[in-house]
Amino acid sequence: MKKLIEPFAIINRQTFMIMVAAQVVITLLLWQSFSDGLIPKPGKVASAFVTLLGTKLFIENMLVSLLLTLKAMLYSILITLLFAWLSVLPFFKSVALFIVKCRYLTLTGLIFIFTLLTKDGSELKLSLLVFGIVPFFVTSFLSIIVNINPQEYELCKTLGYNNWQTLYEIIIIGKADQVFEILRQNFAISWLMITMVEGLSMSEGGIGTLLIKYNKYNDLTNVLALQLSIFIIGLCFDYLLGSLRHWLFPYSHLKTATK
Amino acid sequence: MTVYNREEVLLQATNVQLTFDQHPILRDINFCIRNITRPGLLQGQVVTLIGRSGIGKTQLFKVLSGLQAPTAGQITIHNNKSVKAGDMGVIFQNYYLFEWRTVYQSLMLAAKKNKQLWGMEKQTIERYAEQFQLTEHLHVYPQQLSGGQRQRVSILQQLLKGSDFILLDEPFSGLDVCMIDKAVELLLQVSLSDELKTLIIVSHDIEHSVAISDTVFILGTEPGKEGATIKKEIDLIERDLAWRKDIRREKRFVETIEEIKACL
Repeated sequence: MKKLIEPFAIINRQTFMIMVAAQVVITLLLWQSFSDGLIPKPGKVASAFVTLLGTKLFIENMLVSLLLTLKAMLYSILITLLFAWLSVLPFFKSVALFIVKCRYLTLTGLIFIFTLLTKDGSELKLSLLVFGIVPFFVTSFLSIIVNINPQEYELCKTLGYNNWQTLYEIIIIGKADQVFEILRQNFAISWLMITMVEGLSMSEGGIGTLLIKYNKYNDLTNVLALQLSIFIIGLCFDYLLGSLRHWLFPYSHLKTATK
Repeated sequence: MTVYNREEVLLQATNVQLTFDQHPILRDINFCIRNITRPGLLQGQVVTLIGRSGIGKTQLFKVLSGLQAPTAGQITIHNNKSVKAGDMGVIFQNYYLFEWRTVYQSLMLAAKKNKQLWGMEKQTIERYAEQFQLTEHLHVYPQQLSGGQRQRVSILQQLLKGSDFILLDEPFSGLDVCMIDKAVELLLQVSLSDELKTLIIVSHDIEHSVAISDTVFILGTEPGKEGATIKKEIDLIERDLAWRKDIRREKRFVETIEEIKACL
């Protein structure tokens, strides 16, 4: 027990699982005890969640959002890779650094410009999402490039590689697995943005639209049920991208063996 | 006394200086490595650069390998050609390998850089792998190798690249006693693989390095002068201390070690 509150203490997996289960139970009990008439009790949310999962409305809206997120992530990662790879060329370094700083721009302030530049709601949502995601992706990828072990470059030089071959070996091939890590870590950001972006063009639906609708009618039970489903899907994607990375790049999860 | 000849110059360091922020690290580095020949033998060269920790050995290592340009002076190989990165085989202290490549892929990358192996890369890798006891480990990643296996892969990678010169930075550091003996055997094996093969060991492990060398250069500082230079050259062949397996037990060897220590 003492170990649980000791800095850097290592606990076994079973103890960890028991601890997590106990924390969840305590949270649910607190939620059950302190929620008043406005905040729905956990049982009510769970029941709404089960009902929601079986509705056509939820499935359709979730698919719309998922499709839009995946499309946006695909475009974003392609743009990110292009600028991140090019960032090692001095000419493009400034562009990549500018993209990184674009994190501080708010999407809300750019909606009108994007509306003028795009032809329909679908394109508007996609472009806003891509614009919102890319700076975070580029930031992550550039930090990977900056933190490359200098010995990787030195080994390339000693093998007689020129700069283009070094770029290919170290950054394109050597950091390919990191692309999945960036996707995994930043999926939450895309997921966060989608609810906001979908509120801009509600005609095509999506979980953002659904959330706005439930909020508008103070249907807090369904809002929380929907949040729960968003949370679970997020966790599934996290696991899926992690597994995909390990499957495609087996070395990414290898630890130094002590033979 | 062993019969030998010192023939043409293989590597020449001329007035090498290295300065960082107007602070001299290396100064007036002058030495040369000649081709040593022995009748009836393929005898490569093994040279050790010894110096205290922090004296500038790694910087000299980088200058010799072409990874760091000297502030003044030059390192030349093969008839006055200035050394550049890629000319030398370089084995880093921690035997760095690309973590995303299997052993076979890493070796293939090096073999493809060697024009003499074109079309025979696969067979050569397999042959060397057997010789270096790496056949079973060809398709694993570096993270799955032990320190000794990693070292053998690093050496093999640089051998496949085909350079006559192989620079080793602290090759015995971090190895246990058994592994050091194996590493010594391996280096001797490499030095005997080709007449022009030249191993340059940069180390502070005096005993192990000297035991396999034919020449020792001592890197140190001189009173009143900033920056390290070659303080002394010891010809171990002349002293009949080279190419002998049981040399470490001999009194003359122990005396030489003491002489080197006194110079540091």
